[in-house]
Amino acid sequence: MKMEDMSLSGLDNSKLEAIAQELYADLVEDSCLGFCFEVHRAVKCGYFFLDDTDPDSMKDFEIVDQPGLDIFGQVFNQWKSKECVCPNCSRSIAASRFAPHLEKCLGMGRNSSRIANRRIANSNNMNKSESDQEDNDDINDNDWSYGSEKKAKKRKSDKLWYLPFQNPNSPRRSKSLKHKNGFSVCTSASNTLPLLFSSSGELSNSDPFKYNNSTGISYETLGPEELRSLLTTQCGVISEHTKKMCTRSLRCPQHTDEQRRTVRIYFLGPSAVLPEVESSLDNDSFDMTDSQALISRLQWDGSSDLSPSDSGSSKTSENQGWGLGTNSSESRKTKKKKSHLSLVGTASGLGSNKKKKPKPPAPPTPSIYDDIN
Amino acid sequence: MNKDTQMRAAINHKLIETGERECLKEALRAKCGCKDQLQAHWEEVIKEKGLEHVTVDDLEAEVTPKGRALVPDGVKKELLRRIRTFLTQHASL
Repeated sequence: MKMEDMSLSGLDNSKLEAIAQELYADLVEDSCLGFCFEVHRAVKCGYFFLDDTDPDSMKDFEIVDQPGLDIFGQVFNQWKSKECVCPNCSRSIAASRFAPHLEKCLGMGRNSSRIANRRIANSNNMNKSESDQEDNDDINDNDWSYGSEKKAKKRKSDKLWYLPFQNPNSPRRSKSLKHKNGFSVCTSASNTLPLLFSSSGELSNSDPFKYNNSTGISYETLGPEELRSLLTTQCGVISEHTKKMCTRSLRCPQHTDEQRRTVRIYFLGPSAVLPEVESSLDNDSFDMTDSQALISRLQWDGSSDLSPSDSGSSKTSENQGWGLGTNSSESRKTKKKKSHLSLVGTASGLGSNKKKKPKPPAPPTPSIYDDIN
Repeated sequence: MNKDTQMRAAINHKLIETGERECLKEALRAKCGCKDQLQAHWEEVIKEKGLEHVTVDDLEAEVTPKGRALVPDGVKKELLRRIRTFLTQHASL
């Protein structure tokens, strides 16, 4: 729209005035209309009369200004001493503890499912008699669970009174009692180790490697096979207090090498050699001095597996050729061991198998040098 | 009258563009205390009529003359002055 043809200056004052008046009227009308819309909307939305209150309700909601009360008149800390009844277990719980209790009681929520899964995993572990001590560290966690503590304590008491005869109270033991001599294969899921010691006439502990709250193994009932395997994988030093063998690693800081050597000599005779760990851990070389003794022992044992990470069950399974161990890693390691032995013919296992993963290439290298020499 | 209307439209347009219109409106609202009176008046009317039967047209018909009447003189004059100033400022445009 071109403004040049309409120049306001050309207009006279009266016209200007008229225009001004019109504009003013427009403005006022706009405001009034705006006001109308507001009122109409308030009426239709229902908040037009919102500000009106009668004096009675005004008094109800007056601001409270008394000591010990907040402005609404409520008492502070009122809920600390209150008790609620849990709808699930019908117990009376303090109000501030009610929410976590309910979470565990109903079995919903992150923590309770985590605890339950751990418990299941642990019970599975023990049933399969895994000797991985590290897995069972979780039991030591201070979870709020009476169940696991009771279980652990029960097992500990079982261990403490373990005699050459099985504890008659423990259900697990009773099953192994049936097959005292010869092969004893556990058929029940609750039984822990497949007991395959034919050479040892003794009845082995059905779960010598089963983890319990105490960190030891009572050695009285272990057969020589088990002892040997134990001593090659674990510290084995017998604690004065509990008369049990230490199940920590060969480098456990609580016991010295001298102690370990003493224990081995005590159990395995003067020819027992402490598996040397310290220096040879980083490289995969093995100790030549150890090898000779180990060779003889190995050959006598057959294809005994000396890998520290293998569980006792894998060793026993190898001994007899049947594996009832369920661990897939066991089978993998056993295969490796056999290849080792065939290749090397020496007990390269000991020195190099301190790590969890034995490395196949490593053992052959010394043998190459042997050949050269 | 076409020219007049055109001119008026142009002026209006200009008012809006510069924001002057809004300023004037705000001034009117702020200085006019008639809102509360109108509201009180309205509450009575609505109570009589009932909440359901209030329409915008009714409101407008009632409010506009009242509102116009309720604007204080001083405010009216002030506004007029401002409008005139605006017109003379933009006369050449």
